[in-house]
Amino acid sequence: MNKELLDLAKWSMKIANSAGADECRVGIQSGRTVEVSYRERKPENIKEASTRALFIEVFASHRYSAQNTSDLRKDSLKTFIENAVASTKLLAEDPFRTLPDPKFYRGRADVDLGVFDAAYDTLSPEARHATVKAIEETCLTKGGPKVISVTAEVSDERSDFVLMASNGLEAQRSLTYFTAGAAMTLQDEGSRRPNGYHFVTTVAKRTLPGAEEIGLEVARRTFDLLGGVKIKTETLPVIIENSNVPRVLNGLIAAMYARAVQQKQSFLADKKGKRIACERFTLIDDPHVVGGLGSRLFDGEGLATRKRVMIDAGVLNEFWVDWYYGRKLGWEPTTGGMSNLVIPPGKRSVKEIMKDLGRGILITGFIGGNSNSTTGDTSMGIFGRLFDHGEPVQAVAEMNIAGNHLEFWQKLSEVASDPWPYSSWRTPSLVFTDVVVSGT
Amino acid sequence: MQQLTRRYFLKTTATAAAGAVVLPVLSRDWLAFSATDTKGYFEAGFGITDDLCRKILARALARGGDFADLYFEHTITNYLMLEDGKVNRAFTNIALGAGIRTVKGDQVGYGYTQELTEQSMLAAAATAATIATSTATTPAGAFIGLKTENYYPLKTLMSDIPLSSKLPMVQSVNDRCFALSPLVIKVTAGFNDVQKRVLIVSSDGTKAEDLLPSNFLFTNVVAEKNGRKERAGWNLGGRKDFSFYTQAIADEVAKTAVERTMILFDAVKPPAGEIPVVLGPGLTGILLHEAIGHGMEADFNRKKISTYATMLGKQVAEPFVTIIDDATLPGLPGSLNVDDEGTPGQKTVLVDKGILTSYLHDKISARHYGVASTGSGRRQSYEHYIQPRMRNTYMLAGPATPDDVIKSVEKGIYVQDVSNGQVKIGEGDFAFYVSQGRMIENGKLTAPIKDVNIMGNGPKMLKNVTMVANDLQMSRGGAGMCGKGGQGVPVGFGQPTILVKSLTVGGTQA
Repeated sequence: MNKELLDLAKWSMKIANSAGADECRVGIQSGRTVEVSYRERKPENIKEASTRALFIEVFASHRYSAQNTSDLRKDSLKTFIENAVASTKLLAEDPFRTLPDPKFYRGRADVDLGVFDAAYDTLSPEARHATVKAIEETCLTKGGPKVISVTAEVSDERSDFVLMASNGLEAQRSLTYFTAGAAMTLQDEGSRRPNGYHFVTTVAKRTLPGAEEIGLEVARRTFDLLGGVKIKTETLPVIIENSNVPRVLNGLIAAMYARAVQQKQSFLADKKGKRIACERFTLIDDPHVVGGLGSRLFDGEGLATRKRVMIDAGVLNEFWVDWYYGRKLGWEPTTGGMSNLVIPPGKRSVKEIMKDLGRGILITGFIGGNSNSTTGDTSMGIFGRLFDHGEPVQAVAEMNIAGNHLEFWQKLSEVASDPWPYSSWRTPSLVFTDVVVSGT
Repeated sequence: MQQLTRRYFLKTTATAAAGAVVLPVLSRDWLAFSATDTKGYFEAGFGITDDLCRKILARALARGGDFADLYFEHTITNYLMLEDGKVNRAFTNIALGAGIRTVKGDQVGYGYTQELTEQSMLAAAATAATIATSTATTPAGAFIGLKTENYYPLKTLMSDIPLSSKLPMVQSVNDRCFALSPLVIKVTAGFNDVQKRVLIVSSDGTKAEDLLPSNFLFTNVVAEKNGRKERAGWNLGGRKDFSFYTQAIADEVAKTAVERTMILFDAVKPPAGEIPVVLGPGLTGILLHEAIGHGMEADFNRKKISTYATMLGKQVAEPFVTIIDDATLPGLPGSLNVDDEGTPGQKTVLVDKGILTSYLHDKISARHYGVASTGSGRRQSYEHYIQPRMRNTYMLAGPATPDDVIKSVEKGIYVQDVSNGQVKIGEGDFAFYVSQGRMIENGKLTAPIKDVNIMGNGPKMLKNVTMVANDLQMSRGGAGMCGKGGQGVPVGFGQPTILVKSLTVGGTQA
């Protein structure tokens, strides 16, 4: 346990209690972050800082407010908390505002999530510079004369967090993150200068891919954008590349929160237990993936986490239910937010699938767009590659796909074997049939 | 770490991070500062003297560098929210800190601290200094306070407005929404206000202070008709004094939100593909923000990664097209008395009668191009370094009438309200999401449309602006935020009614 942060949290709760709060929850974060980027074989930006912040949620006479400050000097903090409690009492009463029943704090999994890498403290400035230089060099070498610009970046972060509540919660976690990647711009026809990128994030330094591997992937992705054109509007199968699946999935997820249901903003409100996607689609919220970027033993309210099958073979199984909206709906809480989102992978690679699909589009990125959680309607710009029986035909750009989530997820025809490991959304590439892709 | 294509999003939805009902911790001197006092705030409240600044700057330049600057910030963000009929939650965020930058050519060293102690700030300065590797340079011997215009005068600090004044305003929006239609089933409403005080001190002797308000009143409405639900919202605000928020403003927010929700029950899906698009006046200026504004930010051009990198001085649009980015419009979200590098707020002509005339510069790009900064150096907070950014971007009015523009289209769409814009800088491809609009059939506005993404290419789109009407309007919303490089800053938009002869409309009918 981080004693300094815990002691400060306990002290803050005492102040809140003395000021008249019935209950309170306090979180304190302390961290360090370093970023280094290179361009034209010299450092472009070097940034480093240590940060601290405290948030306190005050429950007073069934009234509620949340406060956040980066000024953790005790004299400042005391006045801040006292003012917070006094101001909370001026708000309207809300009988649903309480801390969670402590029984939901209990039963935390006894597992090492592997989200803290002790090697963080041994990372030297020289090592950071060597990695980012190597990424840039690989990009420049692979890009050759077409390269206009390469910016390579590495960053890392260490974060310590404690969470306490006046009804018995005491929890803490330490995390590390390591990120590396680059953005590359190439000269194309006319004024077009395609900009490709590839960034990866892991919780352990040892699982970050090598600099050369990252650089080669940056170059591959950028060269794939050359010659991008808009083709005629057509109904086609599309494959959404693994790292881009979250952009589509997010529109579905937004309707799976208890708040969306209670506020009549969910097109899935009456769909629990019903089929909302084809049976190939299963979605799991798994907080206990070892080394997962979203792994955690407790959620933001301190509730003990557990693995949940949110969508089971196309059937909506659960919502994300926090304590407050759960009480409003009369539902038992699950958790207020997702951890690691896992779509169980299929058996075939994207390459194999493309060979059997005939003519289709591999979507490698989205641009703009939105999704309406009340109606399920969605529309998004896309770019990627047109292919025919596995062979690349043409880069495509400036095109759109649209639909309604309740229809779109029924069109899922296959899940590929390539879950994206560098995000808390561990999504494989997904294949959808009969999608209208708008162009000329 | 943000990926590049994620860096250029634009949100105009009424989401807010945090807000405040409490006063921050203040010393007695600090409390004495009123809405009209913008000078000496950090010295009186936190002991930031010229001598201390000089010492920190000297540390930042200890290994050389062209210049260094200090950015002190104290921001109070308040957010009151109504849900299920009552203002039953409030959020506060207090940000206090200093960012220290050392610049050598186009290289930047940056450190920041949340503790305004000499020791912490010197440590951050030492981090910034690592970007340079030569001999120490010396900061200016004296700092000269910058005199600026005030484009957002305040009568009262927002933190001095009692809750008893704010709560009824938010409540009245809710009550008005329900009174306007029996179909309304849920309302959320809120008031978000940000009060930011900054001090910028540069090694070249510049010293500037500012007090920046940023606030808006918003509501989101859900209505149900024959088992079908629709949702829409509205907000009004900007860099306003609290006196802006009259009962009439609250009523307008409610009325507009309810009307925008009701019309969605009649909405149809437009056809997919390339069709003429008429953009109505006001908020649709997001088109300019995405299609040209980001591409004119000079960091993208000095790196040659913008599609506009070789077009300066060239004809990019018809002679009736003039596009401006302007920090000097009173009370608008993107207005600035001084930018975050200490350059006075100003107006920049991006396209003058069809000719591309100027990029948007911060100090680094201005030195690169050998021109003066356009006062476009902005940052989200002390935790972030400077980037060239837009402020309030708009197109001047043209010769046509709005009716002429609509009548000229046989079959197309009319865009009334947009959100979620994004651009790919190198290709110039952009997108924005139409949340409200109409079909145009035989020169007349017909069925409503909604939830449609539109895509285009910036340079192509500019050439395809074939009509500009005489009805320029600036958006009156205060919630517009622009994202770039992981930083969000408030921006404004404006546009007259214009015709783009072809854009790609996303739809489900091939």
